[in-house]
Amino acid sequence: MRFAVINTIYESALKNKDICFLTGDLGHVFPEEFRKNLPYQYFNMGIAEQNMLGVAAGLALSGKKVYVYSIIPFVTLRALEQIKVDVCYQNLDVNIVGIGSGLVYGTYGNTHCAIEDIGVMRVLPNMKVISPANPLEAQQLAQQSLNIKGPTYFRIGRGKEPMPLNPYRVTFGKGHLVRKGKDITIFATGTILTEAEKAADLLTGNHISAEIINIHTIKPIDQKLIIDRIKNRKAVFSLEEHNVIGGLGAAIAEIVSESGHPGIIFKRFGVNDTYLKEIGQQSYLRNRHKIDGNSIALSIINSLKTH
Amino acid sequence: MNNATLAREIRKTVLKMIYNAHGSHIGCAMGIVEILIALYFKVLNIDPKNPLMQNRDRFILSKGHACAAYYATLAARGFFPKTKLDQFMADGSPIAAHVTYGSLPGIEATAGSLGHGLPIGLGMAIASKQNKTNNKIYVLTGDGEMDEGSVWEAIAFAGFHKMNNLIMVIDNNRFQSEGTTASILNLEPFETKLTAFGWSVSKTDGHDVEKLSRTLKKTHSSKPYAVIARTTKGKGIKFMENDYIWHGKSPSETEYSEALKQLA
Repeated sequence: MRFAVINTIYESALKNKDICFLTGDLGHVFPEEFRKNLPYQYFNMGIAEQNMLGVAAGLALSGKKVYVYSIIPFVTLRALEQIKVDVCYQNLDVNIVGIGSGLVYGTYGNTHCAIEDIGVMRVLPNMKVISPANPLEAQQLAQQSLNIKGPTYFRIGRGKEPMPLNPYRVTFGKGHLVRKGKDITIFATGTILTEAEKAADLLTGNHISAEIINIHTIKPIDQKLIIDRIKNRKAVFSLEEHNVIGGLGAAIAEIVSESGHPGIIFKRFGVNDTYLKEIGQQSYLRNRHKIDGNSIALSIINSLKTH
Repeated sequence: MNNATLAREIRKTVLKMIYNAHGSHIGCAMGIVEILIALYFKVLNIDPKNPLMQNRDRFILSKGHACAAYYATLAARGFFPKTKLDQFMADGSPIAAHVTYGSLPGIEATAGSLGHGLPIGLGMAIASKQNKTNNKIYVLTGDGEMDEGSVWEAIAFAGFHKMNNLIMVIDNNRFQSEGTTASILNLEPFETKLTAFGWSVSKTDGHDVEKLSRTLKKTHSSKPYAVIARTTKGKGIKFMENDYIWHGKSPSETEYSEALKQLA
């Protein structure tokens, strides 16, 4: 997925010398053409993220559109106060591209996992939070970001996510209907969308018609669409590879609680505010956190039974 | 108006602003007045009537808590009418007790949390290199502020990449919030550390406008440049000088009258 973003920015940077790309010494995956063809637009800032975000702000104050790239915890939490003061308070054209959403780096340990970033980025005024599910969405949203003013945060996976079989269009700020269903709605964000699809298949076998909506833009969130589903469904669920505190589920909970429809069945699927002491591949950890398709389907069935 | 008269007028403005607003950081503001005069009246290529002039020199007050002196200097230089300063720290006003981008003409970046100005200035310096313009970027930091790791990240990058359009002025008053820099986290001598990081370094009297101007204007072909300006915190008001309590204290009515007398 990261190449979908990187290549989109690269193509634009070739045409526009005011587009800059900074990395925190993790740009080794970038094509050599980047360094060769953009010598004054591409900078390896070294392993110094606070400086990197400050430099990004200085470039933006000089009229540049800046993309900053690193692994999520380093490019968000490590430089959080620079993101707050230098980028968001000054409302600058700085786009933060974080790789390694959720549990992708599960075998590396929690230093490299990212289950806090949506909450932290979402709470910053002026920040937009983008969480594509696959390379197709990442490419389209990166393209759209070229015309978005002010700060954005891209939460992207790693490099191995497959392209969807059938192409479709997504629009920044608008939820995307992935699968139609009339009983319940699952709102999902990021690469874990695939688990929502597995769950929906299992639910069909249990005579539950599950709709899936992909919230690829968590901020600004598609409030109108979410309120519509709160009004017209028996139950709504959220699914994310992130702490249930602060993330997509929390954003939807805020809408649910202010919607005037408090009777709706609502449950958040995500990491339940814990750092596991064990490590593992993403699929293993999804299972351990009960955010795999099977666990989600079972939990939804139980939720509907008990109400 | 000569340098000494201008400095005295700016100090009077600072005293009135901080006293009227019950503000703090008066010692920090008083100590940087001559540095600001040297920059805004002698060194910077700027146009107060066109504050966004293309290819202008940039100045960032990284020790954003000393902003009363900065605002007073910008007013004295003609960026905006002095009456604007009546809004300093007032309800509903954009003019905060820490520098805020967009609040007044001439302000280039927000500061207030320490250790942010040099990285931002470095970004501006990189942009100038990209654009092939000859402007210079000046950042004023405090010697206490040098405790922040982010300053050293920027120092390392600027030195390694030979950012010769970046100038850091260190307000070397030897005090920080709770006492002397020597007793809290001694980073002296700055000169050898900065030289080791690939910077060119000068030391000068931070209250001599002419010496400061000459030092700040020195050209350096292949290195970023640091000017260590020896200053007195609270300069101009005897009972405030070299007393760290005036980092955070607001002057009482009696202290205000006494200070005004000393600046007369």
